[in-house]
Amino acid sequence: MLQYFGESISQSFSSILTISKVIIPLMIAMEFLKEYKIIDKLSNLLSPLSRLLGMSKKTIFPLVVGLTLGLAYGAGVIIQIAKEGKLSKKDLYLLLIFLVACHSVIEDTLLFVAMGANGWLLLSFRIVVALILTILASKNIDKILSIKEDKIKQGL
Amino acid sequence: MVENNLDKSNNINDKKVDIKLTFIKGLKKGLSTTLFLAKIIIPVYFFITLLKYTGILSWISTYLAPIMGIFGLPGDAAIALVFGNFVNIYAALAVISGLSLTSKEITILAVMLSFSHSLFMETAVAKKTGLSVMVVLSLRIGLALISGIVLNVVL
Repeated sequence: MLQYFGESISQSFSSILTISKVIIPLMIAMEFLKEYKIIDKLSNLLSPLSRLLGMSKKTIFPLVVGLTLGLAYGAGVIIQIAKEGKLSKKDLYLLLIFLVACHSVIEDTLLFVAMGANGWLLLSFRIVVALILTILASKNIDKILSIKEDKIKQGL
Repeated sequence: MVENNLDKSNNINDKKVDIKLTFIKGLKKGLSTTLFLAKIIIPVYFFITLLKYTGILSWISTYLAPIMGIFGLPGDAAIALVFGNFVNIYAALAVISGLSLTSKEITILAVMLSFSHSLFMETAVAKKTGLSVMVVLSLRIGLALISGIVLNVVL
């Protein structure tokens, strides 16, 4: 019983320590990323990517936010832009498909590397799969959206 | 307090980055995240260690070995997938460090979990933006299962 408590406590503290060594420097780096508006600059750099994915250039900023800061932040930006009416339905769907498959890549990758995973493989696999998925979806999105509208019409 | 706020708004107007303030802000966030994940990791660890001591873990391991073998994972890795999907990634990390897994197994688990995790919370977030729950869930779980099978063959 004593051994059980001892093992649970010591092991859990050692994994908290491992994770905090990743999380604390990361959160500080993220804060600088936001303050220096590096995400805006990165978005400008990546804007050609939007054509490949079949989306308008406006989607790149929420895409980069979601990729780096996470789904909650990304969705927050998307909701805001969508409210301003700047995103088409196609943009919105493609953006969400990409982000649902692939988000907060920096944090996730570093955490799993701390556990012993192959980080490059993890990161490249995620991004490539999300890119392929989004490109495939963009080729078929008009069909998907028209079927949806038909269904809505039939429902009415 | 009022002075503090004034300082902050001046900073925004000047568009100069206060390095010290930014550092402290990040440090605070890092510490509060660590506290948050400690609250998850400690109970998960107690649970996993209990499973180990009672022999339930080896029982789960034996029974789930054929299914988890599809992904090149041992049976007990199923617990990491369950915690990752029903709780969050931090809980899965606690399970992973509690089990003895090889680097290949951790990489496969990491890819599967990165596609599909915190399903309750994140599906709620995605739903807010207007995506259907079924689409999100099938997409994420599908990607996780397929990538697990593919990586097992490739790696």
